[in-house]
Amino acid sequence: MPISRVLPSRKRPALSRRRFGSNELLAAALGALAATASAASDWLGEPLGSGGAGGKINYTVLVLIPVILLASVALFWCWLQRQEAVRRTRQLQRELNERQRVETALRESEARFRDVTEAASDWIWEMDENLRFTYLSERFEALTGIGTQSVLGLTRWELAGADASIDPQKWRKHREVLETRAPFRDFIYQTQLIGDWQNGRYLKVSGKPIHDEQGRFRGYRGTGTDITEQAKAEAALYQSELRLRRIIDLVPHMIFARDRHGRFLLANRATAAAYGSTVEALVDRSHPPGHGVPEEVEQRLADDRAVLENWESRLIPEEVFTDHTGRVCTLQTIKIPFNESGMSESAVLSVAIDITEQKRAKEDVARMRLYLKNIIDSMPSVLVGVDPWGYITVLNQPAEQAGGVSWAAAQGRFFGEVFPQLQSQFEQVRQAIRDGHPIKTPRMTLEVDGELHYADVMVYPLMADNVSGAVIRMDDVTARVRIESMMVQTEKMLSVGGLAAGMAHEINNPLGAILQGSQNILRRIGPELAQNRAAADAVGVDLNQLNRYLQERGILRLLEGIREAGVRAAKIVADMLSFSRRSEAQAQFALVEVEDLLETVLRLAASDYDLKKKYDFKRIRIERAYDPALRLVYCDKTEIEQVILNLLKNAAQAMAEENTPSPSILLRTAREADYAVLEVVDNGPGMEDKTLKRIFEPFFTTKDVGVGTGLGLSVSYFIVTEQHNGRLSVTSKPGQGACFSLRLPLAREKLS
Amino acid sequence: MTGWVLIVDDEEMIRENLKAYLEDEGLGVVAFESATHALFWLQAGVSCPVCIMDMRLPDMDGNTAIRALHELYPEMKFLIHTGSSSYSLPEDLRTMGLDDSRVYRKPLEDMGPLAAAVRALADPQEARL
Repeated sequence: MPISRVLPSRKRPALSRRRFGSNELLAAALGALAATASAASDWLGEPLGSGGAGGKINYTVLVLIPVILLASVALFWCWLQRQEAVRRTRQLQRELNERQRVETALRESEARFRDVTEAASDWIWEMDENLRFTYLSERFEALTGIGTQSVLGLTRWELAGADASIDPQKWRKHREVLETRAPFRDFIYQTQLIGDWQNGRYLKVSGKPIHDEQGRFRGYRGTGTDITEQAKAEAALYQSELRLRRIIDLVPHMIFARDRHGRFLLANRATAAAYGSTVEALVDRSHPPGHGVPEEVEQRLADDRAVLENWESRLIPEEVFTDHTGRVCTLQTIKIPFNESGMSESAVLSVAIDITEQKRAKEDVARMRLYLKNIIDSMPSVLVGVDPWGYITVLNQPAEQAGGVSWAAAQGRFFGEVFPQLQSQFEQVRQAIRDGHPIKTPRMTLEVDGELHYADVMVYPLMADNVSGAVIRMDDVTARVRIESMMVQTEKMLSVGGLAAGMAHEINNPLGAILQGSQNILRRIGPELAQNRAAADAVGVDLNQLNRYLQERGILRLLEGIREAGVRAAKIVADMLSFSRRSEAQAQFALVEVEDLLETVLRLAASDYDLKKKYDFKRIRIERAYDPALRLVYCDKTEIEQVILNLLKNAAQAMAEENTPSPSILLRTAREADYAVLEVVDNGPGMEDKTLKRIFEPFFTTKDVGVGTGLGLSVSYFIVTEQHNGRLSVTSKPGQGACFSLRLPLAREKLS
Repeated sequence: MTGWVLIVDDEEMIRENLKAYLEDEGLGVVAFESATHALFWLQAGVSCPVCIMDMRLPDMDGNTAIRALHELYPEMKFLIHTGSSSYSLPEDLRTMGLDDSRVYRKPLEDMGPLAAAVRALADPQEARL
């Protein structure tokens, strides 16, 4: 029984010695009483009963008196003795009872102690005056797993070599405590047995010094508990907390928790940095809450409260936050309501991510996208983005117009369906994507509103994020093709002009001979001239007869034919000559009243000899639509008059040829941004596309042979484009008349 | 009208036709194919108030011939009859009283206006009447 070792056992011999003494006395008294009683009974013949004191005095008084006396004394003595014995017995009994009670109590205490000791998580230890372990309760081994035998006889520090070397200060203090024989509480150390480096146990011990009756120091006794698990758990918890703390401090986003008053319960380093504070200062609840711009603080508080009231997490996609430096940033914050154990109040945990850069980048991207869209929209080319299967991904504005669909509506549709004119490009799209090279299709012909158009088509392969596709670029080059053909014509005209200038002199002389000769011949065969008559008389010819003869034989008509042919040839040469370039100095440029110019031309046209001959110009109704905003135009008056006259003659001739009913010509002027526009519009037969395309070509004519030189319009074109830097264009359709538009630059500087 | 109308032109048919027309108008006409011949003939001291001058001549150009004739016969009036498309009147000739109305371009469809001009120059009084 371990308790016997623990409890002091020296009181037991004293107790048994006292018991032994009183028993002896009682036995002696009883012996004496018994002897006396037996003697007396023998003598009196009656047994002495218990307490028989009233015997026969008379007879044996003398004998008996001493005896009686003696007996009485003896009896008294006995009685006394008996009383004493009873008292002693009672005391003994009491003592016995007391002792039994004490023993029971002791046993109970021992049992309780044992139970406690056995049930407790602690163990009992004792050490002797040399501070060496003399006793360790069973729990020690059970709790620590360290064999008691390996500990007994050792000092505490001998059990904790490693710990002692780690924290010698702690041990020095502890030893001081032990050496001064003072009690101690909750001394924690790590025990480690030699050769066992893995399973060091954390022990927490408390102890009191033991002194014997003489007050001599006998050692220490105390309790110990194994707190290894707790220490490990604490250490782990500490580590984990430390790690968590490190993690939230490492996170560059703001992580914090605030109560409903906006006080920080938790904040990571990023949060503290944003507030220009430290984590400690931020979570110090003694500080008044509310950092930053008041409106922002108010808003955040309202958000937090909303989260708490609804008890629902909430994402605030964009939140304005002004940090301590005044930098305004945009945060994306998620707010989560939470109740921490041990915290009476609920709080809002917030994680705020600075999305300023992303937002700016996003805005930049959006801006750039808009910018690019504007750029591609501003391009005159039709741009159609397609995927490798030909489905539309992007359209620019001209493409939307050309296809008559919006981008949104066209997206995902096959491009050939939206742009039938481009359907033939599908093979090029595939090839361009396959080869990674752009493919050009110049001068592709296509029909737009029944008109022939030319388009340069280019298919560019696209590679973006491994998504392949292509952009089809289509430029309507109809105008350019026309201009180019005009330029070709102009070149032709210039070469004609050059040729004409070179040969003019050589041709004009023979033409002069023909024309002058014809005139002289006709003059000299008539009877009107006196010289003719004189000469005729001299040779005996009758001039009147001769004239009849000449008429009869058609000679006069033939002569007239020669003359007309000469006139026509002279006109051709003159027209050809107007193709040669002239400097501005040679040309008579001046500011001319447009209306005056047009009216002059109308008068000229009405009196034109050729016109009168072919048709009656007066039959044509002339309409005027003069723009009052256009008054003056800078030009060579004679040249432009010639051009307008040419256009009028052209219109009149065309209408006369086709017998247009109620022919009319509209003279219209208008002022454009850079040009003065003069238009001659007729309601004549109009022209086919074929004719239109060649109309300004030199020597191209639809008129009967001999009616036109085929140079009139090309001369006009040349005068307008080459000499005036203007434009001459025509629009017409068969049966719908024709409109010739003459554009002259308004700004003089533009003239080259 | 007194005096001769002088024609200088290297193209024979032009010369002949002008001469014929003007003679039919009742004018006295002499025609030469070069300026040298004309000058030689003028040395005889004949009166010659009007000259129709071609520009491209075998011996010298028409402008030079006019200058030479003007030097010798300041009273002589000139009409220019040229086949060149690019001819423009030199400034010194303008100071002699010539202007664009005196320039006639070949081919002449009608010689009437030229003849009228010759008459007007040869006899201002008559022309005015």
